[in-house]
Amino acid sequence: MTLPSPEQVLGVLSHIQDPDLGRDVVSLGMIKELEVSPQGKVSFTFELTTPACPVRDRFKSQAQDLVGDIPGVTAVEVRMTANVRPAFMRPKPSEILPGVKQTIAVASGKGGVGKSTVAVNLAAALRKAGAEVGLLDADIYGPSVPAMIGSHAVPEQVNGRLQPIDAHGLKVMSFGLIYPGEQPTIYRGPMVGKAIEAMMVQVDWGRLDYLVIDLPPGTGDASLTLAQAIPLTGVAIVCTPQDVATDIAVKALQMFRKLNVTPLGLIENMSWYVCSNCGHRHEIFSHGGAESAAKRLGVPFLGAIPLEEGIREDADAGTPVVISRPESAGAQAFTHIASQVAARTSIQSFRQLPVINVR
Amino acid sequence: MDVVWEDAHRSTYSGERLRWACPCAECRGEAGAPGRLSRVKNLAPEELRLQDVSLIGQYALQIAFQSGHATGLYTFSLLRRLCACEECAADRKSDLGPGPP
Ligand SMILES: Nc1ncnc2c1ncn2[C@@H]1O[C@H](COP(=O)(O)OP(=O)(O)O)[C@@H](O)[C@H]1O
Ligand SMILES: [Mg+2]
Ligand SMILES: [Zn+2]
Ligand SMILES: [Zn+2]
Ligand SMILES: [Zn+2]
Repeated sequence: MTLPSPEQVLGVLSHIQDPDLGRDVVSLGMIKELEVSPQGKVSFTFELTTPACPVRDRFKSQAQDLVGDIPGVTAVEVRMTANVRPAFMRPKPSEILPGVKQTIAVASGKGGVGKSTVAVNLAAALRKAGAEVGLLDADIYGPSVPAMIGSHAVPEQVNGRLQPIDAHGLKVMSFGLIYPGEQPTIYRGPMVGKAIEAMMVQVDWGRLDYLVIDLPPGTGDASLTLAQAIPLTGVAIVCTPQDVATDIAVKALQMFRKLNVTPLGLIENMSWYVCSNCGHRHEIFSHGGAESAAKRLGVPFLGAIPLEEGIREDADAGTPVVISRPESAGAQAFTHIASQVAARTSIQSFRQLPVINVR
Repeated sequence: MDVVWEDAHRSTYSGERLRWACPCAECRGEAGAPGRLSRVKNLAPEELRLQDVSLIGQYALQIAFQSGHATGLYTFSLLRRLCACEECAADRKSDLGPGPP
């Protein structure tokens, strides 16, 4: 029996298309360390662009089947790994967030829609998938992340740099940890920009696949300043069925578009609930509004999260629901959304800012 | 300065072209008052030479000239409209009007 050549193996694997990136996995450089043993065993590493890849299992079985069908192949070993790619081609090496590959902002048109809840659970879901994840609570007006992760530890200074605190495997930094108990009124006008800038350069994030950022609500100064101070891969916008009806989310989306921050998509929170009387799923008035708004605006719809008492209780108790009750409908909704967000950021890393060359 | 865009289009800008297009309030004027660029006919050579370019967020470049003038934020859409290549110049002619909307 003749042995298959590596080219033959790559040839069949190039039939696997990445649905998000719109190209085959071989030309995307996802197949690595390919070996064919004298006994006809084929082994290779399949390197995804995110550990939270929504099509991870499908890729693996497709690869196994396609390679297994090549004549002469006796066994197939597919090692699935992930390497999050950095999103930016920077014109100059940046001192802001040098070790961070992807920065995902979570925004909303107004407060109280569940933006922080989404940010915390999104970070926790990406961490559970195996990524290195940081969580930056940049909501200077109402930092709620410390309570939601159950830690008010004071960040340490090492060599003049602030160390994020560790909670549930996440590296966390919050204005609520640096200035506990201070009145939010100290952040007015230019103070906002200064505080944010200081935070961006002082915190030592180390190496991160994803930095999830809980932005201040609305389209005020603080959101604007942040969106300009941090190189953002993109922004996910959280809304409730009600604010799509009133176009509040649309306004936020338009602001980010003006700043050239890529919308990763819309998330509908408190979209439906499981009725405690009949046990059935009940839709909330104008549910589905975010999905149709996303269609209309030409941005992805990332998913819907149920209104669930457990989501609030666990947030109040300091553990994100994706960790405390992974089987719940709410946790599964967050996990699904995290894969969608990760897939959208992978797309961004194959896009580039203009390349600027000054002579 | 050269810019290669996401669609692979390449634009080349002279310092002179960029300086005369500076979008800052001082150059353009504000609140009905005419700006500096509409009052002067000539600019000194150091006004026209690029000193530095930095990225602002993901939407603009801040361009500093050797004279020290650095208040202009050139958005990518402005820069794309300023492209001087023949193709873009022809596109602008066929459009209703030239320049920013
Ligand atoms: N899907 C949900 N189900 C139940 N309670 C929720 C849900 N999302 C958010 N909450 C609760 O609503 C309140 C506001 O959420 P929060 O994330 O703090 O909003 P924001 O950051 O937008 O101001 C919190 O008490 C939170 O626990
Ligand atoms: Mg909040
Ligand atoms: Zn019911
Ligand atoms: Zn100017
Ligand atoms: Zn051109």
